[in-house]
Amino acid sequence: MSIDALSASRRVPVAQEGTARPSPARLLTRSLGRVLSRYWTVAAFVVAWQLWSWLTGYNQIVVPPPAMVFGDVLGNIGAYLPDLGWTLAMSAGGLVAGMALGTMIAVVVWSSRIVSGMMTPVALVMRSVPVVAMIPVLARVFGYGWFTVLVITTVVSFFPAFVLVGSRLRAAPQATSDLMAVLGASRSTVLRLLLLPHAVPGLLVAFRLTAPTAVLAAMLAEYLMGGRGLGTLFAQSVSFHEVGRAWGAALVATVVSVACFVAARAVERRGTVRFS
Amino acid sequence: MPARSNDLALPTDTEPAIALRGIVKDFPLKRGAAVRALDRLDLEIAHGEFVAILGPSGCGKSTVLRLAAGLEQPTEGEVLVEGRSPAELIRAHRLGVAFQEHALLPWATARNNVALPFRVAGREVDRERVDALLELVGLAGFEDARPRQLSGGMRQRVAIARALALEPDVLLLDEPFGALDAVTRRRMNLELARIWMEQRITTLLVTHDVDEAVLLADRVVVMTGRPGRVLHVQQVEMPHPRGGEVTRDPEFHALVDRLTGMLDDPEPVAATS
Amino acid sequence: MSRVPGAALAPSRGLAAGGVLALLVLVEIVGRLGLAGPGWPPLTDVFGYVAKPSAQQLLGRALTATATAALAGFLLGGVVALLVAVLSALVPATGPGLERLAAVVHAVPLIALGPLLITTAGREATPTLVAALAAGFAVFVAATSALGSANDAQRDVFTVLGAGRASTLLRLQLPAGLPLIVDGLTLAAPAAVLGAVIGEWFGARRGIGVLLVSSMQNVQTDQLWAAALTAAAISLLAYVLLVALRGAVNRRFQ
Ligand SMILES: Nc1ncnc2c1ncn2[C@@H]1O[C@H](COP(=O)(O)OP(=O)(O)O)[C@@H](O)[C@H]1O
Ligand SMILES: [Mg+2]
Repeated sequence: MSIDALSASRRVPVAQEGTARPSPARLLTRSLGRVLSRYWTVAAFVVAWQLWSWLTGYNQIVVPPPAMVFGDVLGNIGAYLPDLGWTLAMSAGGLVAGMALGTMIAVVVWSSRIVSGMMTPVALVMRSVPVVAMIPVLARVFGYGWFTVLVITTVVSFFPAFVLVGSRLRAAPQATSDLMAVLGASRSTVLRLLLLPHAVPGLLVAFRLTAPTAVLAAMLAEYLMGGRGLGTLFAQSVSFHEVGRAWGAALVATVVSVACFVAARAVERRGTVRFS
Repeated sequence: MPARSNDLALPTDTEPAIALRGIVKDFPLKRGAAVRALDRLDLEIAHGEFVAILGPSGCGKSTVLRLAAGLEQPTEGEVLVEGRSPAELIRAHRLGVAFQEHALLPWATARNNVALPFRVAGREVDRERVDALLELVGLAGFEDARPRQLSGGMRQRVAIARALALEPDVLLLDEPFGALDAVTRRRMNLELARIWMEQRITTLLVTHDVDEAVLLADRVVVMTGRPGRVLHVQQVEMPHPRGGEVTRDPEFHALVDRLTGMLDDPEPVAATS
Repeated sequence: MSRVPGAALAPSRGLAAGGVLALLVLVEIVGRLGLAGPGWPPLTDVFGYVAKPSAQQLLGRALTATATAALAGFLLGGVVALLVAVLSALVPATGPGLERLAAVVHAVPLIALGPLLITTAGREATPTLVAALAAGFAVFVAATSALGSANDAQRDVFTVLGAGRASTLLRLQLPAGLPLIVDGLTLAAPAAVLGAVIGEWFGARRGIGVLLVSSMQNVQTDQLWAAALTAAAISLLAYVLLVALRGAVNRRFQ
């Protein structure tokens, strides 16, 4: 659906090239309409929030009004930025490490029948293990600290890359594989010239799926363990009854997660076009 | 270019370029059953000869080609290419191949796709040869285009240039124009005829298009299916180079009609041959 | 020849068993030798702990609470997601907005929902709601693509027959999309378990999540691992059940 929308929005200017250009005013109303049709729910959400805080009689301990929360985030951005940067660094580090590890293990599994036979049930178990729920265990094993947060974001990022890269490695087009066989390509040559580039879209899907999860996992770990980061900021504000700051941390976390999701999706789309 | 004399195309006492002798090929199905795709098939192709295998779909044409390419092993019989097993030729990077699916790498430019055989063989890419091949197949100026940006016919040209990259001993083509529209297909046939005249590589072409087979081949091998056998071998006497004018030749049409008749209703002809 | 599939299966089953065994042995050895420090106990110690009646009572109570929240959340989230998907199929104008909302809600880190849910729904209902959100998103994504999965020719037939939107939905889109919807449910089941556990972290009184956090803080390592294994087990069970359901549906609708 959204891909259609994308190509449609690209097609419009081409179709109009020969004819008169639409006036800026019409362009504006049209793009406004498009934004509205997609984001009316977000606007409705903010309005509902406002109404709700109004109905609870501006009892700020329960529901702070949107203006107060947005005000705190924009006015005291300095209170958020260091923690935000820290959380993003942990997420990005784990994302890179986990996806690299997932790709490497997928290649190992691809290269050996025995390893692949042994990994199949392990992968089934791992697929259904709620990894994020294992944060307390990892915290116990690796101690309370940034390294554990990194381990957790790595573990969270590992599995999608492992599964999706692995399935792409096993699903190269038949004709191209035949061609490689006739050209006399060795297994490592096939891997290098055909399978790894072919697996890039799988890695990109893993990236899109994982990026928001990594941020979430980092924040949950920080929430449970303390230390630095948005999760800790949130936990501390909750326990000191700084409602505005707590909701502000939640808002920043949401915006960052949505931004990560949107950015990861854009990266995926571009990369997929390039590699398929 | 001198017209080729036909005795060149006949199998001589010297070693044939491709020899399939007494080939039986069974494919295992579920629950122990097997389907016999080829039954005691014999085929020899001389050096520098262009042979087309013609037959209805499912009769085993691709299986013959895949046996010659070393992609399948015969259940019975022997396959020799240049007097050796296909596996040895593959190891020496002496085979060129193109399929109905272009099988280009979508992330690589036309130039890099044609250079692929060099990379696979671990040789230094001969840039001049790659560009010359692209020019030969009429793609000068499209060196840096990716497959996605090329038309179906252009993609097949790249695939053929790639098949020729390492100057193979044998060229194997499995319906390379099967996915193209009729007009593009005919144009590509004439292009291939021209390219083949320049290179004179031993070629095995699989097709179900009668015009294509007659236009290109020295010899047309007609197959019937279930199980796959050689029904008829047709020498094509028309001299090379064959251009577009050949398709208006009555001799060409007589031949096409005759072979089409065999494909429609193989039994009576089989009785006479 | 007829033995070929069985013969191919036998070594792969052996390898699979070997893989699971190797994993268990590895976990045991790392714990036994203390390779990963005191936080990683030998697996046999964890099983020894689980064998104790007091531990079973504790785990059983937690398991009941979490499983109830997960199941309730799964049902709630699944039903709401299906209804919303049907709404966006019946009123196409709402489609893009609803899909964005679902994407945004999904991208909202569960942690950010903590204050919202605790102040509104209370500590006890929060696990169920988080489970519902996690499961609902998986179902919604599957359901919207499922309802769009009937092909154009089939749709054209219904249009020509003069079928209305509701009739097309009931007789074409839902049956055609059922396998995909069940796929979504398969993903939603473990998601609901995870959601329930995380929801409990925000201050529930009982549950596997509570047990995980309290044993982490009190350095009760065997109990921590037992709780983690329990969480993994119910998640795996939920997944296996749904995979079986998917098999049944696929057989019925093929
Ligand atoms: N890998 C395979 N497994 C089972 N049967 C096959 C396989 N490849 C080909 N066949 C069967 O062998 C016969 C010949 O196939 P093929 O050589 O592809 O025919 P053609 O190229 O003439 O259309 C067909 O009946 C086909 O079903
Ligand atoms: Mg074929």
